[in-house]
Amino acid sequence: MVTASISLREVGRTFGATRALAGVDLDLEPGVTGLLGPNGAGKTTLLRLLATALPPTRGQVRVLGLDPEVPAERTGIRRQLGYQPQEIGFPRGFTAFAFVDYIALLKEWTEPAARHAEVRRVLDLVGLSGLGAKRIRAMSGGQRRRVALAQALLGSPPVLILDEPATGVDPEQRVTLRAVLAEIARASVVVLSTHQTEDVAALCERVIVLEGGRVRYDGPVTDLTGQAAGRVWLADEPDPAAKVSWRTGTGRYRNIGTSVRDDVEHVEPSLEDAYLLLRGGSPKREAADEVAS
Amino acid sequence: MTGWHLDDDALRRYVERTDSLAEGASAEQHLLSCEPCRARVNAAASAIELSVIDFAAVWDRTRDAVEMPQPSVFERLLRGAGLPAHEARLVAVASAFRGVWLTGVVAVLAFAALAAAVGHARGEWLFLAVAPIVPCLVVASSYDPWMDPALEPELVTPYPALRLILLRTITVLALALPAVLLFGLVVPGETAFAWLLPAVGFVAVVLAASTWVSPLRAAIAVSSVWLAVVWLLAARSGSPVAVLQARAQAAFLALAGVSFSIFLLRRRRLRQLRPWRQ
Repeated sequence: MVTASISLREVGRTFGATRALAGVDLDLEPGVTGLLGPNGAGKTTLLRLLATALPPTRGQVRVLGLDPEVPAERTGIRRQLGYQPQEIGFPRGFTAFAFVDYIALLKEWTEPAARHAEVRRVLDLVGLSGLGAKRIRAMSGGQRRRVALAQALLGSPPVLILDEPATGVDPEQRVTLRAVLAEIARASVVVLSTHQTEDVAALCERVIVLEGGRVRYDGPVTDLTGQAAGRVWLADEPDPAAKVSWRTGTGRYRNIGTSVRDDVEHVEPSLEDAYLLLRGGSPKREAADEVAS
Repeated sequence: MTGWHLDDDALRRYVERTDSLAEGASAEQHLLSCEPCRARVNAAASAIELSVIDFAAVWDRTRDAVEMPQPSVFERLLRGAGLPAHEARLVAVASAFRGVWLTGVVAVLAFAALAAAVGHARGEWLFLAVAPIVPCLVVASSYDPWMDPALEPELVTPYPALRLILLRTITVLALALPAVLLFGLVVPGETAFAWLLPAVGFVAVVLAASTWVSPLRAAIAVSSVWLAVVWLLAARSGSPVAVLQARAQAAFLALAGVSFSIFLLRRRRLRQLRPWRQ
């Protein structure tokens, strides 16, 4: 089996005077990679580059060994690609089945019986098996997101690029979607952008944090979470020494600080804690090592 | 209880759903009041359930009937004209081919033709002003990103954008030209046909310009320039003779040729996401 892979070398993208991405180096292999970052960090631009919707203004992108700058190779990539954009509109009057069927036509599923079977398969996968005949305009936001995801899953592509796939999707369906994506990721490169750190923690082996168009962190989810070890504690009041602090449902305050503390009530850090810590300041690595030992 | 019962063949056809609609309705009517036949149906259904009836196929047919989008009249017309079914669907999906748009286009042309037919002094000019820009406006709207809400997922499919745009352009021309020609029959004089080459030229200009700017912007710009030119000519000479001259018609033909060549040379820049979509 050919191993699917994506590589980016010194990739940059600007829009006029605005720098959206700069000096991005990445290698992606089969599995789920989560993309985190604040609004405007360059997540959507990066996903559009990977999906061949945008060319880079500098650097080199290779998807499955193919160069998206070469028209024939770009078409080759698109034959093996599923892409769910962040915002997707639907033609007026379309049902879920009709829309996915339309995208399947553009993906060269010209034989009707096979195409219809595939459309049903992906609608079933995203939990819309009974809603194929429903007009998309009459659907909830979460159902529309699932229609958008269904079209990306057509043909079980080796490369799946998803921009905030779980936004507006209810908790039960999110669990189902995680199972679907985990299954696909056995053989495919799945890159998903999200603001939900719990999705990344539950689904991704690897996380990339973007900030200001640059890669701020790239590594295993567990390593990022580990950076917050000893730096998250509960207290009855907001701690002035904390970088971030908020009141939890129990009435106590969850504090995250950049220095390791031993005079406080520590709690197990979550990926969200680690992400906030990363965004708020660089933890002292030596201190973390001391706590670990 | 009734005086007759379903015979074995009728019962088997009913259970296997191979009977006709009338025969099935008759059998059901009888079963409502006949306990022995209901028992025989139950027994027969149990016996053949797995061996004869392909429930997966039945379910697929049922889902087909419910879920399959029915082709629009326009799509059926395209199929009738010889376009393969899947390409007819891809063309017909464009907003430009929805009823409201087409009705609007026909209404504008009908108004212009009517103005010319009733012999109003400016009617002929009105027709000459409107007829050439209708095809380029419809072509632009058939693939403009602003009119295409699903552009991003469409964009990253392997189906060639160039082919899709040309298919939609040819369809627009195949639709719009005969329609405008038909209306032109009621327009007196040579004006009825003078718009043809300008129309083809403008469509080509829009195709070429859409490798730089959005197609709709290009079409609006071309239309504005054309309306200004027609207005100026009308104000100066009072007759459309300048547009009808062979030299002017040759210029429109040259414009079409040059623009189409530019379009082909720059075709790879079609339908790229523009920075304003960020």
